Amino acid sequence: MPQSDLRAELQNQQREPLLPIEKKLIVGSLVTGIVLLVALALLNHLFPEIR
Amino acid sequence: MSQENATKSNLQSSAAPLTSAALTEDWLAVVIGLALFALALIALTGVDALGWVVVASVWTSPDSALGPISKAYAWLGGFNSFVLTYLFLLAVLSAGAATLKADVRRFAVAFTVVFWIAYASWVIGSYAHFAAVTPADLKKFDIHWSLKLTNEGGYLIALIAGLIIANFIPRLAEWLKPAVRPELYVKIAIVILGGFLAVTVASRLNLATSVLLRGTAAIIEAYLIYWAVVYFIARQWFGFSREWAAPLASGISICGVAAAIATGGAIRARPAVAVLVSSLVVIFAVVEVLILPFLADAFLSHEPLVAGAWMGLAIKTDGAAVAGGGITESLILAHAASEGVRYQPGWILGTSATVKVFIDIFIGIWAFILSYIWTNHINVTNDGDKAKLAEIWLRFPKFVIGFVLTFAIGLYLSLSMPAELAAKLPAAMGQANAFRVIFFILTFFSIGLSSNFKALWQDGFLKLAAVYLVSLFGFVIWVGLLISWLFFAGVRPPLAA
Repeated sequence: MPQSDLRAELQNQQREPLLPIEKKLIVGSLVTGIVLLVALALLNHLFPEIR
Repeated sequence: MSQENATKSNLQSSAAPLTSAALTEDWLAVVIGLALFALALIALTGVDALGWVVVASVWTSPDSALGPISKAYAWLGGFNSFVLTYLFLLAVLSAGAATLKADVRRFAVAFTVVFWIAYASWVIGSYAHFAAVTPADLKKFDIHWSLKLTNEGGYLIALIAGLIIANFIPRLAEWLKPAVRPELYVKIAIVILGGFLAVTVASRLNLATSVLLRGTAAIIEAYLIYWAVVYFIARQWFGFSREWAAPLASGISICGVAAAIATGGAIRARPAVAVLVSSLVVIFAVVEVLILPFLADAFLSHEPLVAGAWMGLAIKTDGAAVAGGGITESLILAHAASEGVRYQPGWILGTSATVKVFIDIFIGIWAFILSYIWTNHINVTNDGDKAKLAEIWLRFPKFVIGFVLTFAIGLYLSLSMPAELAAKLPAAMGQANAFRVIFFILTFFSIGLSSNFKALWQDGFLKLAAVYLVSLFGFVIWVGLLISWLFFAGVRPPLAA
């Protein structure tokens, strides 16, 4: 596909609303990520190992 | 169009096998890296197989700039050692190009120019006024000032040389393209780095384990936090379609070019989408390499491993991240040395590489998850085109296998050999490491050559760049710093003996 077509496509994109599965992916990833990071940070704090 | 072409080699290297070549770039990196590692190990038997490889020293007189790494080859002289190194790499990489079904003659000619310019940049970077660090160095070279970049400032000179050619002499950049393979060069360097790191960490296994465990935080951050936020920003704030937003989120969040391409394949996006996103990734990685190591040196010189982890988390593309870790290490070691603290080399770079490799190895799983969601819920396809578990292996970055192998072998040898033999191992790995440095130089120069800023702006893809800019400088860099601080603050490299 020529660059000019892609440029036009990028400039004139129709907005696609977020589907429920996309919302689930975003929220699920964020919540899992934050929970795991907090858990790891706690482990890191409780078991500092070698510094 | 040049940007599109510039990343096509990355497309072939980073994605699943797309060509009929005998090897992919990933496997080729494993073969070359392991071969150099094995040749270096021959030194343990008393045969100096790689002692002739060229290294550059800090210099004020060009005559003393180059020399072979081993004193046993001192009779060769610097220039002959350089030519021998060039001929060796020309032969090895031309054979590699043949396995990739590339035009070997075109590769050899382009590689010759790439190698000579890149290494000349490295030698310039070793000039004492750029590279000397301590007051003792200044006295030794009889100079009164220095930029204190260490000789690894040569990486930046190689990068800038590449940028100048790409942006002001685009015809030459186009002509050099057959040898512009930053992903191949850095993957070979990473395979070699495994053995070097093993020898470095053998005496401090607890600390090494600690760094590895903390590396898991990077995976969570890249895949679960960065990706979700960048995807949301691209979709909701900038109105991108799913086909554009997913590769863009992966490119900005995970491991740059490889991630954008793997995601593009996973969601069945058109190849041109991944190619354009990859162009952006390379350009922004260059900007980051030019800025972040100096910020790290200015603000994190007392937390060296935080700085190393930050480079691995914030800079996208393997080449730029590991290379950024290398520059950060040289700057911080020099900074610390000027304050009388001498850290053991290898730990900051090792932390950057560990974080990056940890992130890389999950790209296959992430591609599978996205592929499953897209083919089952978003663009529901027939059974033949649905996500397959085999995709995890297909997308797995194979060079990681080489890195793990050299690390495991190096560690086993360090811990199990008689003390007399084990004492020879650092020198042997030092010879392999000289090649790692050369592949880093080639990576920097190639990244510069791949970054045609003008073409990007002319093509008008500012909207894509805006997402990248907002995400990278508004979020990715700072969250990366926070996580690096949370997990690596207070963890310091051992002091040099």
